[in-house]
Amino acid sequence: MYIIKEDQVTNIAQELHKEYQVYGPVLEKETRQTMFVKADDAGEIDLELPIPANPAKHVLFPQFERIMSYTYDRKNKKAEIKPDFDDAPKALFGMRSCDLSGMLCLDRFFLGQEFADEVYRNHRKNMFIVTNTCVEPFKQCFCVCTDSGPSAHEGYDLNLTDLGGEYLVEVGSDKGKKLAEKMSLPKAGDSHKKEKEKRVDRSVSLFDSLAKDNKAWISRVVNRVTTGLIDEKVWEYIGDQCLECGACTFVCPSCSCFNIMDPVTGADSADRMRTWDSCAYEGYSRMAGGHNPRKPVEDRRNKRFFCKLSYSQSKKYLRPGCVGCGRCAWVCPGDIGLPNVVTYIRREIQK
Amino acid sequence: MNYKSGICTFCGTGCGHLLDVRGDSVRGVYPLQGHPVSKGRLCVRGWNIHELLNTNEKIQTPLVRKNGKLVEATYDEAIGVLVDNLAKRKKNAADEVGFLASPRSSNEENFLLMKLARAVFNTNNISLDSDPGHRRSLNVMHRGTGMAGMLGSLEEISKARFILVAGIDITKQNPIIGSEIHKAARAGARLVTLDTRNTQIARLSGSFLQVRPGSYKIAMAYMAKVILEEFLTNADFIKRYTSGYEGFVSAIKTLKDGDVADKTGVDLAALKEVGRELARSDTAMVFFSSGISGFDQETIGYIYNLFLLAGKIGREGCGVNPITGINNLQGSYDMGIAPDLLTGFQQLSDATAREKFNKEWGVKLPAEAGASIHELLMAGKRLKAMVVVEHDESIIMNVNEVRDMDFVAYIGSFRNNFINYAHVVLPIATYVETDGTYTNTERRVQLSKKKLEPSKGTVPGWKLYTMIAEKAGAKWGYASPADVTAEIARLTPSYAGISHRKLEGSYGIKWPCNKENPNGTARFSLDGVPKKISFAPVDSSFRVPRASEEYPILLLIGEAQHYWHQNNLMKKTTIPLREYNATLLLYPQGYVALAPENAQELGVRDRFPVKIVSPYGSMETMVQVTDKVKKNTAYVAYFIHDMVTKFFLEHKDVLKRGEDATIPVRIVKV
Repeated sequence: MYIIKEDQVTNIAQELHKEYQVYGPVLEKETRQTMFVKADDAGEIDLELPIPANPAKHVLFPQFERIMSYTYDRKNKKAEIKPDFDDAPKALFGMRSCDLSGMLCLDRFFLGQEFADEVYRNHRKNMFIVTNTCVEPFKQCFCVCTDSGPSAHEGYDLNLTDLGGEYLVEVGSDKGKKLAEKMSLPKAGDSHKKEKEKRVDRSVSLFDSLAKDNKAWISRVVNRVTTGLIDEKVWEYIGDQCLECGACTFVCPSCSCFNIMDPVTGADSADRMRTWDSCAYEGYSRMAGGHNPRKPVEDRRNKRFFCKLSYSQSKKYLRPGCVGCGRCAWVCPGDIGLPNVVTYIRREIQK
Repeated sequence: MNYKSGICTFCGTGCGHLLDVRGDSVRGVYPLQGHPVSKGRLCVRGWNIHELLNTNEKIQTPLVRKNGKLVEATYDEAIGVLVDNLAKRKKNAADEVGFLASPRSSNEENFLLMKLARAVFNTNNISLDSDPGHRRSLNVMHRGTGMAGMLGSLEEISKARFILVAGIDITKQNPIIGSEIHKAARAGARLVTLDTRNTQIARLSGSFLQVRPGSYKIAMAYMAKVILEEFLTNADFIKRYTSGYEGFVSAIKTLKDGDVADKTGVDLAALKEVGRELARSDTAMVFFSSGISGFDQETIGYIYNLFLLAGKIGREGCGVNPITGINNLQGSYDMGIAPDLLTGFQQLSDATAREKFNKEWGVKLPAEAGASIHELLMAGKRLKAMVVVEHDESIIMNVNEVRDMDFVAYIGSFRNNFINYAHVVLPIATYVETDGTYTNTERRVQLSKKKLEPSKGTVPGWKLYTMIAEKAGAKWGYASPADVTAEIARLTPSYAGISHRKLEGSYGIKWPCNKENPNGTARFSLDGVPKKISFAPVDSSFRVPRASEEYPILLLIGEAQHYWHQNNLMKKTTIPLREYNATLLLYPQGYVALAPENAQELGVRDRFPVKIVSPYGSMETMVQVTDKVKKNTAYVAYFIHDMVTKFFLEHKDVLKRGEDATIPVRIVKV
């Protein structure tokens, strides 16, 4: 554990900028929207900004990405396939703990199973992660219900907590330690650690008064979602409100579904593109031959919440699939962000 | 910051988005939380717009047809061929030359195309390819209030206590407006849907009245009658603000209760209650489709009159709201893309308005109104030369007439079947490669800034039109789209206060924007309106299309999931295309939606082939069995090639009636 003065905290980003592409919360000046993006200059990153509109997911799993290209040599009847991996070292600075939790889910999906995704691995392998504790929750937050905040407890290289005038710098890896030592940060003491605990406790206690948009008492519904003992009518009620836009999946830090397409680039060449996909879409669940096991929209919604809330899925992620960031409630044109869905299911249980 | 703010250009909602611009391409899109209409939401189309912007199906270089084949050419050469072909017809341009404009082009581009047609090539034959749905709404609004556009405000949907959705599948056509309506209903507004089909918004409504095809007008008239008979009008309001009341009253007098129940097929008590609720509610809005599947002018007149009678026009949270399906449909009419209109709904027949244009442009405009391109083609009148811009549909309706033309030029960013019939093809930059303004369904003029350099040296539309004009000998000399907007402002009272500089960094300005309203106009307002607003003149004919023994089923025509008509752009994406194809793969020949009772009678199941026979023609398609349509009505999505190019062409008089276009048919098993 180290300490760094508040006005010097972005020096960490500057230091990282020497070796890494640095991503962090940056204000889009015209629209005043905070976006988690690659900073052209580490000085653009501002830890005081609210939770970014977009999670850091796109850094490892871009919305639209070329993953390989292929060419065909007609004369020699030979195809050449060139993978297009992006292994540039990337640093995520000032990421919120919910978004880190989402990333850990993505790790389990892309790397944690029999098949490891090389494209993802290349984005991920040289990554440096600096998280930022939320000393106050935002309106839409409910990470306290999903075990993903307000402070990160695993998966970071450095974790920052604003102690007022100075930041506590917790070390989560050797890489993190090396950087802290390279910057000759002063060591933190027990009092700093206690102060952090106090601030985290205070943050948790503030959820009642500040995080008013969403409450998601997830534990009550995990059982129901896992066993499927939920009245069809509840899903229909939810499905009726789904406009099938895909937004909830695109903004979700832990959603990992993608589509592949091969646009032709020349007479004998093509690219392979990977794009975000969504279980909200009818074509997503359609099988070759035309059969669609999840044709009604409510069956597809049901699938999404199974992914986020069921015990079976949590076993794969080693944590709940929902990370409590509340973005799905922001972007939903219906009224079926995850917290509301939890409410509808609980309402039925109570009946 | 690689995210640049902009305006989504799919539908008429005009949502705000941030585009992820890296190097020379757009790699993603994210919703804009601060945008007053979309408030951080996008629909399936908006979320995948980067796929369209990355398509390989862009037009890359100018092409000229030589010996029957299109070959690459320079802009100069291609423009030369175009100018030669149009200039030589200048004398007879009113008969021989036409311009088919796009409701997707920016205001600047459409303004210049209009100027090109009229001031350079001497013809008033200019119209939109989605003619004439929205025009009918504009006629009614303009005649009644002087405002040729939506009377309410999308920002005020949450303030409406009563919302009527009539004949529009709004969560599919304009999903974010549908979302606002849904959210208003969740917050306590009374939501009523009147539709022939059981749509999503119908399921989300407090009341859903499933009317028979062609009976919207009667339903509206009946509600007005209820309001009158139960003395629910505000006599003071009617007297103080309106004219033409007596005419409307006498039009609906002839309506008989028994007739209404029979013709609409809905429960009269329920309809009556809706009428009462509308009148008693503090604020109310109505939404209906204004475009290819819009209503006929009579029905729109009745909707407008009903709301005027109920006193729900001209105040916050109130309004009659025709909803445009395409991004710049409203703006295109604002720019005078119509045979009889100049900008801002100024009439071409108005000598003073014409003189203003003559003076500004240094020309003498042809005074006689032209004709719409579709009308000319449908009437079998042979245009000899035509310029087509960014055709929105991938199927060409009057393909034989187009093939027979001496000269066709196609101008656009994306490939389209029209290219197969073109003698000259001119590429233009996409909307992210140049500045331009777009006017959404609520009259909000928004500036979309250039984010990328045009690919492979293509020029933006405003520049191309300038190049064409100058090749033809005119001196235009615009240096930027902002210059064009300045000219629009000089010539158009409702746009007088609009400039790029003013729009920059804002979420748009709603016209009229002028000296009196420097910050635009949120909604039509009764305050300060110089003259009384008038009831729309309507007739008292309450006929409905009737099925007969020989043709027992009423066939409706409309839009399909994610896809209204045969959108050329959607076909250049991957995920939205897949969603579209999900329907096509199941029903490769298209489908006719049929109620389970009818399917049983016929002895067919889902996906069985059937033949639709009308008094004029027939076509084969497949059956989709669904309870979304009532017994003895059938619904056919407007996107199947044979349907559009053959079957419907035989029904041109019927098709003119938009949403009320119903064809009595017989369906037989094949």
